[in-house]
Amino acid sequence: MHIVKQLMAIPGVIAAGEFAYRGDRFSFEGALTAEYARMASILCRSNTMSVNMQSEIFDSFAANCGCKPMQGWIVRGAQASVCNVGNYFAFIENRPDLLNDVMTIMRAKVGDIGDDLLVNLYAKIGGDVKEALY
Amino acid sequence: MTLEQMMDLPGALAAFSYTDKGDITGHQIREGTEITPQILDLLAHSCVANMAVATLEARGWESLTGQKGFEPLQGFSMVGLEWSVVVGDRCGVILRNRDVNYEASFNAVQACTA
Repeated sequence: MHIVKQLMAIPGVIAAGEFAYRGDRFSFEGALTAEYARMASILCRSNTMSVNMQSEIFDSFAANCGCKPMQGWIVRGAQASVCNVGNYFAFIENRPDLLNDVMTIMRAKVGDIGDDLLVNLYAKIGGDVKEALY
Repeated sequence: MTLEQMMDLPGALAAFSYTDKGDITGHQIREGTEITPQILDLLAHSCVANMAVATLEARGWESLTGQKGFEPLQGFSMVGLEWSVVVGDRCGVILRNRDVNYEASFNAVQACTA
């Protein structure tokens, strides 16, 4: 089953989606409008790039410290949270055990993210990765 | 909850407290890990920055969409290849991914008194 559909089958998941490259190519399911999903995709892409950059800095001080490449991030809000793994995101309610379940599924289904994040994101929409990026 | 108690979380490799500018005020590191005080210092600064950015995004999101439930933020987590760091306002904990319990960790950093 597709990751987004699998996430949406869990009670308490508000919305889930997938984005690529600049965050302006996306698909989603759940309680978002297309415009909000576009905004969420750009936001998630931006945060993903930011934490990836930070992991590069950590790694430059202590090679193989275990943080690089960054796999994702979580924002824990008062009643809701946003989870991001690779190029997938999920908006969830803060229900008992839901965050752990969602992160377990996302990590297992998305798999480990490789070193070159941009190539990974661009490859999701196909095309000549090297020509487009460099 | 103290830093020593946070080290009892499943998979905990390090626990630390920091100022609102990201300067480390205390830390515990489990022996035999690759984590160093320098890494904790960098992490604390990045976590302060990430919490600020996430607050900006949450505030903007709630204002634009009308969806509520994010503010006030409880914490932020970065998920690395082998470990994750979970931070609240003044405390953070690094946990091995295969053992991590994110909910317990967010609750712990929220209850941190270090």
